[in-house]
Formats: sequence, structure tokens, C-alpha cells
Amino acid sequence: MAVVDRNGPLKDAWTRIGEDAPAPKGASVIVSLARLKNEHNSLFSAAGAVGVEVASDVDLADLEPFLARLGVIVVRMATMRDGRVFSTGRLLRERYGYAADLRAVGDFIPDQVLFLLRCGFTSFEVGEKFPVESLKQSVAAYSVWYQKATDRAKSVVELRGENSSRGAPKGSSS
Amino acid sequence: MYIYDTFDHTVTRERVAEFSQQVKRRLAGELSEDQFRPLRLMNGLYLQLHAYMLRVAIPYGTLSSVQVHKLADIARKYDRDYGHFTTRQNIQYNWIKLDQVPDLLAELASVEMHANQTSGNCIRNVTADQFAGVAGDEVEDPRIVSEIIRQWSTFHPEFSFLPRKFKIAVTGAPKDRAAIQFHDIGIQIVRNSAGEVGYAVYVGGGMGRTPVVAPLIRAFLPKAEILSYLEAILRVYNRYGRRDNIYKARIKILVRDLGPAEFTRQVEAEWPEIRPSGVNLPAAEEARIEAFFAPPAYEKIAEPVASFVEAKAKDRAFARWVSTNVHPHKIPGYGAVTISLKPIGGIPGDASSAQMHAIADLADTFSLSEVRVTHVQNLVLPNVKQSELFAVWQRLGEIGFADANIGLVTDIIACPGLDYCALANARSIPVAQQLSKRFADLDRQHNIGPLQIKISGCINACGHHHAGHIGILGVDKAGQEFYQITLGGAGDETASIGQLIGPGFAGEDIVGAVDKVVATYIAIRSSTSETFIDAYRRVGAAPFKESLYGRR
Repeated sequence: MAVVDRNGPLKDAWTRIGEDAPAPKGASVIVSLARLKNEHNSLFSAAGAVGVEVASDVDLADLEPFLARLGVIVVRMATMRDGRVFSTGRLLRERYGYAADLRAVGDFIPDQVLFLLRCGFTSFEVGEKFPVESLKQSVAAYSVWYQKATDRAKSVVELRGENSSRGAPKGSSS
Repeated sequence: MYIYDTFDHTVTRERVAEFSQQVKRRLAGELSEDQFRPLRLMNGLYLQLHAYMLRVAIPYGTLSSVQVHKLADIARKYDRDYGHFTTRQNIQYNWIKLDQVPDLLAELASVEMHANQTSGNCIRNVTADQFAGVAGDEVEDPRIVSEIIRQWSTFHPEFSFLPRKFKIAVTGAPKDRAAIQFHDIGIQIVRNSAGEVGYAVYVGGGMGRTPVVAPLIRAFLPKAEILSYLEAILRVYNRYGRRDNIYKARIKILVRDLGPAEFTRQVEAEWPEIRPSGVNLPAAEEARIEAFFAPPAYEKIAEPVASFVEAKAKDRAFARWVSTNVHPHKIPGYGAVTISLKPIGGIPGDASSAQMHAIADLADTFSLSEVRVTHVQNLVLPNVKQSELFAVWQRLGEIGFADANIGLVTDIIACPGLDYCALANARSIPVAQQLSKRFADLDRQHNIGPLQIKISGCINACGHHHAGHIGILGVDKAGQEFYQITLGGAGDETASIGQLIGPGFAGEDIVGAVDKVVATYIAIRSSTSETFIDAYRRVGAAPFKESLYGRR
């Protein structure tokens, strides 16, 4: 297991702890949603930082009370076809205002990371077989997008608006 | 037509580069077929029975003559000199070599074409009325919103890994020539009582093993709101559509399980959250896209056009072709020609490179350089002067595409079937060919009148058999090809699903069985002006059952 972001491998301080294991004092721990709901008071006071791992179809209302205090939310993709993760990411960022690390884990492929980044994900937990070295290339595959998304990259529509206000020609240019 | 700007070119070029890399990794063995499969599917590349098949997108079925020439060149250079036009207004090449796909895509990109999202669980190529911009009955040209949707849906960050594929169709006219109610989303451009243009939105239609006619979920959506409303629909589907069973993963199942009212409530609750996000296009961008579809410079022509009237009077075959293959044009003195890709005994939707080149030349000479593809697998020259229809008809005769059979019994839709497709249970093309030969007599065809036969080689229903007046479904029965008949389907504004009439027929008996169905119709119709579908709706299945299976 390694954790990467869009630039490559990250040093990761988070540790997952089991349902019954005590939270080491001052550590950065990732717990299940059930444990977070049951023990949030003791967890937030004992641990240095608290994160949670949830399924891609998590009910966001369950997470809402803790969002401001969580240091990471790990969203698990059931399979690489599990596109719910993209909506979950956008909603957490755009509707619930979640601002800390948003991490994807599961069976995604490098070619999906760009979509995850656009939907608000900031880090990725990947297995040994994941070609980390090809990540830089795959996230640089596109320089422009038709849509606005969580990453606030300017959309083609916005870029066109800027072009026409500068008086650039509208038609084909290449 | 829409013309790419520098941004459209960039997106297309970057996609070609990305997919070329993926092909390279596959050829070098860095990707297994299992890993490559989802990647190639997002680019319309299927591994079929004999070879790779590439499906090229023809957005809303609109082509320039330059693009048609290119499609012909590609057929000659990369395939066996022909292409196959599909029910989703796309073109498929059946004999593609993997190592040549990057070059092929680069050639497509040079004429502003691509194979993006022609397969995979994403928003597929948007389809529309083939008479967009020329039909007299349309409220507004459906290509404008179709192009807006094409751009919005291309590599959408949130909706590229949906539970299942997702198809959107648009009609600008109350007469539905795009089968919108058999789509995941069907959009009809309408005018409200205040005279404003907007959209009626249907959600959850489809074919496949669970055919559904889409319910209306919104009678009027203001034009400017379309993208936010689509995002709301897609978000509800992406989050709550079933992912545990691919046969229950289409949005039609979600709409059915929730009920249209509850589904609509969820969409309408999501929509206000999305509206302020900036997804709706600014008016300037909408106007920019709309400007590409401004009417071309038509000549002022007074009707009747004497030479046209005379040619019809002199030549009965021409007059008959005009009656079936020329659609009225909103501009006096013009007509929209449907080129039948259904020659007697031919393969529905196939065209050779020579035929495609000839059609592109015809478009340049006679149709303001435009060609359309219909979901019935024919081509259209949308802007032909009536005075030149005779010349067009003659030239079409020279390439074998002058059959006067549009909308008639030999204008058959057929999927590729077991001749090509890895999913098929039975062959479709030979059945279409035999039916075409059985009903070849043009007097008989015109006497029978409007009748749509649609053939699918398996339950996935790519041949739209559910929407056929006569539908034929190929099934595998203990290793033998059998064909079931459904009656009473329709894909227009009176959309209905055909009903299974009884036990299936062996391959050698299916043509005779269809002939009996047609003979029964002729016997029961109240007059020659009562069409097959009207007669069926009046009398029901009983007389057809009796003629096929006898009294029980």
C-alpha cells in the first residue's frame, strides 16, 4: 500500500485502527463510520487527528456532524466501475464544504485519477501493482475540459468567454 | 454545421494521444486484455467474433461532405472497403486492426470527428431528428441543444462511470423521428402557452430485455436550464441506480422501482442545488453554438416547380420514389431526400467507400454539402432543390441506392447479429435479406404501405424489434436459431412496445410467417389508407394469431 497525490508518492501519517483497538494518544487514526458515530467524543479528544473510511454510497448526512473536525475521509470504490465515488466527492466538497484531505481507495486505474481529482479527491491509496510512475502522464492527459467541476479548473465555456471579451476570433483556429 | 474551435480541437487531439498511449501499452503487453477492455470500450472499440470493431460517433447524425469522404477513405484504408451505419446514427467498421487505430483516430480528428463515448457506461452519442433544421413542423433545430449536450457530456468528470450506458435523443418536432421515448432521456423541444421555447423531458425509456416507454417527468423546462436539469437526473441515477446486476442497471429500472413520481421528486430536489453551480451555459455561449446552425442561404423558389411536376408526370418510377423518399422541406422549392441504404437483398445500413464518395459528391453538388444519418440506417440529403431531384434520383440509381422503399416493408432495421456480434444468439442480416427479396416487388410494397420491420439477433434489442410494427427477435433454442415475432410496436410519438404473438419460427419459416402477417393485414384493413399499425391497434392480435397458428 502506498499513498500518492497528483505529483507522486506521499509520506502518510494515517493509521487505520480496528473496531476495538484503542486510539493511540496523539496519533492520526482512520476509523470506520460506525466507530466514528459511536465514539466521536473520545476519539476527537484522544487522537491527534481523526479520519474515517466510508463506502462510496455513504449517506452524507451521517458524516455531516463531523466534517469540520475530520482530517481525512477515505472513500472506497467497490470496483473500478463504481462511479458513485465521483458524485460523493463532489457533494462533500461543493455542498457540504468539506475542506480537508479526500482520499480514494479501491480498484481504480490511473486513467481514472484525473476524474477523481476533478471531483475533489486529493490523495489516493494504491496497491503494489498500481503504476505510480505513469500517474504523472495520465493526470496530464488533458489541458482543457468542457465542464466546471470541484477542482475549479476553468471550463472551455469560461475560456471562450474570456477569449471573446478580449476580441479573439470565434471560429476554428487549428 | 458546428465547427470546432481551438478548444474542441485540443480536447479531441488530447484524447487521440491518450488512447494511442493505451493502445501502445496493450501492444507492448503492459496491459492485459482485461485491463485494456474498459479503456478501449470508452473509445468505441469492441472485440467481436472475428476482429476489432470500431464505432465512430456521428453527433446527432450530421455530417459534412468532407467528413463523408473521410469515412469512405477510412473504409478503404482500414476496413474491407465498407462501413455500416447504425441505429444510433453512428458508423461501424468491422475489420479493424488494433495497431492501426491510433492513425485512424488521428484521421478522424482531422475532420472534427472521434469515437469518444460510443461505448462504455457513459453518456453516449446524442441522437436527433434527421430532418433537423429542414422539417416544417419543428419548433426549433434540435442540433443546437444536441451540440450543447455533446460538449457537456464529453469526458464528464462525474458521469463517465455510470451504472450502465446512457442514451439521449432530441426531437425538435411533435412528430418524433428520433424515437425519444425509447431513450434514457428523451427531449422534445416545445413551446409553452406563453410562447416560450423549452423542453419536455422524458426519462427511463429503453429497449433491451425490459422494454419501457419513457414517462414524462417535466412538461416544460426553460431552455437555459437544460444542463443543470440533466446533471440533476444523472446525479440521482449515478448515486442510486443499481450496480449489482447489469441487466437491472439502466435508469429505466430505477425510474420503475422508485416510480416516476418519486424519481421526479428526487430530481426536482437535486436540481435547485445544481442550478447556481454555473453548469448552465451563459447566453453568449448558447448564441455562439446556435449561430453555427443558422439556416443556409436558400434560393427563393416559387412552387410548383414546373420541371419537377413534369418529371413526376413523365416517369412513374421517379414519382413513386418522390412519394416515399422525399420529405417536405420548410423552404418552398426544396425537398429532403432519404437515400435508401436498403437495396433489395442488401445488408441494411452498409455502404461501400465508392458509394460514400458518390453520396458526398451529391451533397456537394445538390445539398449544400450536408448529409444526415437516420436511426433507421439510411442517409439523408437535407437540402435538395426540387428542380434537381430527378438528377439526384438518377445518380443514386447508378450507385444502387435509388430504391423507393423508405418507410415500407423492405426498409428494415437489422442489428449485425451472429454474423459479427459476440453477443448475438442468431443471425439478423440473412433474415433481413430474405425478407427484402420476398417483398421486392415495388407495386406490392407500395400497396402494403407504411410498415416497419425491425430485427434483433438477441434480447439486447439493438435492432429495435420492440419498436417494430413487426418485430423479429432471434433466439437460440437448443443450438438452433429461432425467431419470435412481436406485433404492434412503434418508435414514434405514439410509442408502444410490440407484443409477442406466439411461439417462434425456425430460420427457414420466418419469412413465410411474416408474409402471413402482412397478408392478414391486407385482408383486414378497412381501406388502403389504414396502415398496418392502425389496423393492428384497431383489431388486436387475434386475427394475426389465427393466421399464424390456426384456431385454438
